[in-house]
Amino acid sequence: MSVSHEPFDTFAALHAVGALDGDDLRAFEAHLATGCARCAALVRQTEQALARAAMAGPPEPPPSVVRERLVKRAAAAGAPGRRRWLPWTLGIVAAAIAAGAFSAAYVAARYEARLGQMARETAAAKERVARREADLREELALLRDPTTRMVELRGQAAAPEAVARVLWAEGAGGLLLATNLPPPPPGKVYALWTVAGDTPRAAGIFVPDDAGRATLRVAAETSGAPVRILSVTLEPAGGTAAPSGAIALAPR
Amino acid sequence: MSNGADLIHQMAEGDAEAFARFYDRYAPLIYPLILRILPDPTDAADCLHDVFWESRQRARTYDAARVTPDAWLVTRARARAIERMRAARRRRDGVPLGAPRAVFPATTPLERPPGVDQSVLTRAFERLPDPQREALELAYYGGLTQTEITARLKQPLGTVKTRLRLALDRLREMVKPA
Repeated sequence: MSVSHEPFDTFAALHAVGALDGDDLRAFEAHLATGCARCAALVRQTEQALARAAMAGPPEPPPSVVRERLVKRAAAAGAPGRRRWLPWTLGIVAAAIAAGAFSAAYVAARYEARLGQMARETAAAKERVARREADLREELALLRDPTTRMVELRGQAAAPEAVARVLWAEGAGGLLLATNLPPPPPGKVYALWTVAGDTPRAAGIFVPDDAGRATLRVAAETSGAPVRILSVTLEPAGGTAAPSGAIALAPR
Repeated sequence: MSNGADLIHQMAEGDAEAFARFYDRYAPLIYPLILRILPDPTDAADCLHDVFWESRQRARTYDAARVTPDAWLVTRARARAIERMRAARRRRDGVPLGAPRAVFPATTPLERPPGVDQSVLTRAFERLPDPQREALELAYYGGLTQTEITARLKQPLGTVKTRLRLALDRLREMVKPA
């Protein structure tokens, strides 16, 4: 008597979107471990369909500081190496298999997934610490820089109690430190603008933490022109090319 | 112009220029998706950074015969954004996993966050029947599993599975290359 494959077609689709759990997930992982090409293909096709649809919308430029960080980091690191956790992962998986508590394929699939997750979390934590350390070094350099000036910003109509300071050095950019900011209205974020010459530049968007505090690292002006004005406004979360919302912080 | 797979292979060799071009090509396409899952722009930017750095570090493992660059990157971006969203929820005591954000606003478009109104998946999703779209958005953007969706929608598990299956079948048909 042949067993219907139909339930696995459903499991494969749901697995691709991460919705499978419980007994269904265990059954599907065990089934996948048998090497079912049909299910593997269905998962791939579904992931591919989701990816195509996800990338079909209008593009939205991310904050420029992300690119700057990545480019700087890539220049400092050499060619990417192989992941060090892999041999360790395989060793643990092999030991688990040797224990023979479950079928080899099932145990391998389960442990690889879990250890891979742990390794990703550890790697992500290390990267966060490294990034924070790099941020602190940059902030220290900014404080040491004899050309750094401090600009005080005072709360305006949109955030009357807010206070902020911006440490700014023309060649190195700056650091905004704000307090007493109210949470932005739904769908809005705070945006920092720098004006060098006549055109305002979007220098970054942010939302304060629960205590109303915010810190924002700002890249230097690419034009090289000295920044004359710094201000913070409330803008749509998707960003805007020019300041259009209520002013939250402006120079004294 | 290099295609995505070529750029990934060049990235694997430590080509900084290829990495920058890969970022320039894909970051504006990936960022709306991350922003939809993580509405805080600081979180979204951090996540975007992690996704591209991880992609660079794992570029050697990329297999063009098995997965397209789009799927390789989008799958990772969505997974990392969901992980961050779940971690943030765990940190906030009392907020159950998969609870509260309005992730299925199609019948009330004005409630969508500005800037993502017409983005990510919208056109494909809008062609799905509402019950299927609702279940799929809860899974895709909300990171909910079938059991969590069942609890959220107060529908039988079988119904939720069927809706998701039909939605994904139709999505595959809709975005199939001509």
